[in-house]
Amino acid sequence: MLSIKNLHVNVDGKEILKGLNLEIGKGEVHAIMGPNGSGKSTLSYVLSGRDGYEVTQGEVIFEGRNLLEMAPEERAWAGIFLAMQYPVELPGINNMSFLRESLNAIRKARGEEELDAVAFMKLIREKAASVKLDDKLLKRSVNAGFSGGEKKRNEILQMALLEPRLAILDETDSGLDIDALRIVSEGVNLLRNPEHAIIMITHYQRLLDYIQPDFVHVLADGRIIRSGGKDLALELEDKGYGWVLEENAA
Amino acid sequence: MSTPTTTNWAQALVQQRSSPAPAAWLDNLRQQAESRLDRLPLPRRKLEAWRYSRIDALFKEKFTPVVQAPDGASLQRPESNSPHVLVFVNGWFSPSLSSLEQLPDGITLKSLAQTLNDEDEQLRQHLGSIADKDENLFTALNTALINDGLFLHIATGIHLDEPIEVFYLNTASEEALLVQPRNLLVLEEQAEATLVEHFLGGKGNDYFHNNITEILLLGKAKLNHYRIQDESSNAWHLSNIFLRQGEQSHYHGITLSFGGKWARTDYRTSFSGAEADCNLRGLYVAGDDQLGDFHLDIHHNWPACNSREQFKGLLYGKGRAVFDGRILVDRIAQLTDAQLTNDNLMLTRNAEVDTKPQLEIYADDVKCSHGTTVGQLDPQHIFYLRSRGIEETMATHMLCQGFAQEIIDHIHLDSLREQTLQRLQHTLKKLQE
Repeated sequence: MLSIKNLHVNVDGKEILKGLNLEIGKGEVHAIMGPNGSGKSTLSYVLSGRDGYEVTQGEVIFEGRNLLEMAPEERAWAGIFLAMQYPVELPGINNMSFLRESLNAIRKARGEEELDAVAFMKLIREKAASVKLDDKLLKRSVNAGFSGGEKKRNEILQMALLEPRLAILDETDSGLDIDALRIVSEGVNLLRNPEHAIIMITHYQRLLDYIQPDFVHVLADGRIIRSGGKDLALELEDKGYGWVLEENAA
Repeated sequence: MSTPTTTNWAQALVQQRSSPAPAAWLDNLRQQAESRLDRLPLPRRKLEAWRYSRIDALFKEKFTPVVQAPDGASLQRPESNSPHVLVFVNGWFSPSLSSLEQLPDGITLKSLAQTLNDEDEQLRQHLGSIADKDENLFTALNTALINDGLFLHIATGIHLDEPIEVFYLNTASEEALLVQPRNLLVLEEQAEATLVEHFLGGKGNDYFHNNITEILLLGKAKLNHYRIQDESSNAWHLSNIFLRQGEQSHYHGITLSFGGKWARTDYRTSFSGAEADCNLRGLYVAGDDQLGDFHLDIHHNWPACNSREQFKGLLYGKGRAVFDGRILVDRIAQLTDAQLTNDNLMLTRNAEVDTKPQLEIYADDVKCSHGTTVGQLDPQHIFYLRSRGIEETMATHMLCQGFAQEIIDHIHLDSLREQTLQRLQHTLKKLQE
């Protein structure tokens, strides 16, 4: 589904990703772990098409298409979704209208019929209930004045609504209490099926107690230096990143 | 230190006044204003209040005052859901385009010209009495040529539930017209009303719309006042709103400014009692060859009054705006709460704004603040929307609307709010072409 080969990325002239390789197949859940500053967020932004990330080498192919040539909205239409670490607040933009605009833009791009207000209302109520997001937050401006947990849940709501082919969760677990973490995890688990793939970027093992990954990768200094099964995460939790880094250096 | 051309400009206009006013007292009022034209400080760019306005260009234009009621027969009646609709064509009341249903006792809603024939005591007592402060050439020019306008008087304790809707239509003409409605609103104690005013001009019509509205709110009176300025792209528009608020009165005003090549709105508020609320809000949208121009002069001269001034501007192309907001708090006006903000969203590099908030405080127990911002759309916000499948043009559109929404949300009339959103979207769509 997604194939990243020898990806080099500069931010402000500084090389952050230094030859990253990653293959992700349908139905798989990958966890990417690593110390701060290793390039985890850069990877998520490059995949979703944010400005300011200069690809100097390598390629990213998503379902046969060159992802790097696509605009952010085209990537969303193709089925890529990034749950952001710090979702922005959009005062004055009604959450419900935004969600409908987003869903219909994606449906339109896929050649599906746009949902009318009534059908959308029914769907969004269902989805909001599934991630336990208070209906009141649908009527407010997007993320404006939301708590950290509410913002993350709003991200998961969007994911549940848009049903992306590939969801990237950028430290969605950070700053969440156990209850919120459980709700977010349930949302992710609902998306899990043989047609969808998920990349979870996380600093902690904690999230992996709730979402079992098929693969765990350690990202350090712009490259994946170790890959394994879910046991690798346990080992990291136990021993910290130090030993992987040392082994890699050796 | 007079500039002869400017005095002549105004005098020449006044000379075209055709006949004496229908009432002697009004004729007197006109002539006094005329005699002041020479003595008034001339609006020049050297003066702070006029520094950023296109005043020089205005004085180069020749206008013809409209001294007789025009024939509105060929015009279409504006759409309105209100039972109380008044239409003014080039400043003159048009009975055929207006529709006024039966009003409750205690409410006078008429054209000024009609009222003059009735020798209304309220009109005579108050007309010109609120605008006498800070008179300038344009207010004197309006007074010197008073013919028609809106007169509303609501007696003590009477509430008018349905909004009054007023349309000022500025029509095409061979000569550039000087259009000068003169309005007076008097709400006695505990009276309540909602007034919606639309300033409209056909595409490309060339005119100078110079209106004055005097508003007197007595104790606990309440007025919701919405003003939608959508003049022709060639129009000069100047609105002067003089507001005097009694004890515990409440004024909720919003001006939405979309049209005109120069569209200036001046609010002057003072109080005649304590614990009054004055809420002024505005939205200005200006593009190529447009100047949106707002001046506030809020004089807290009684204790414990609140005022909130919140203005937002959306500027695109080579659009320009001026925001000049002054709050003056007298020594006597303890416990004043005044908050002024002005935010500007610049969509292009060539857009320009001059913003100048001023607080002048002589009391020592007050809560006052001001804040202004001038910024652009945040690329992170655009990216967020695009990453959710929303195209860049649409994302920009949504963010601009979101910016304006904060003002629009204060419109408490559903149909007007909807209409305003559509008007805004019309401009935003043009931006994307």
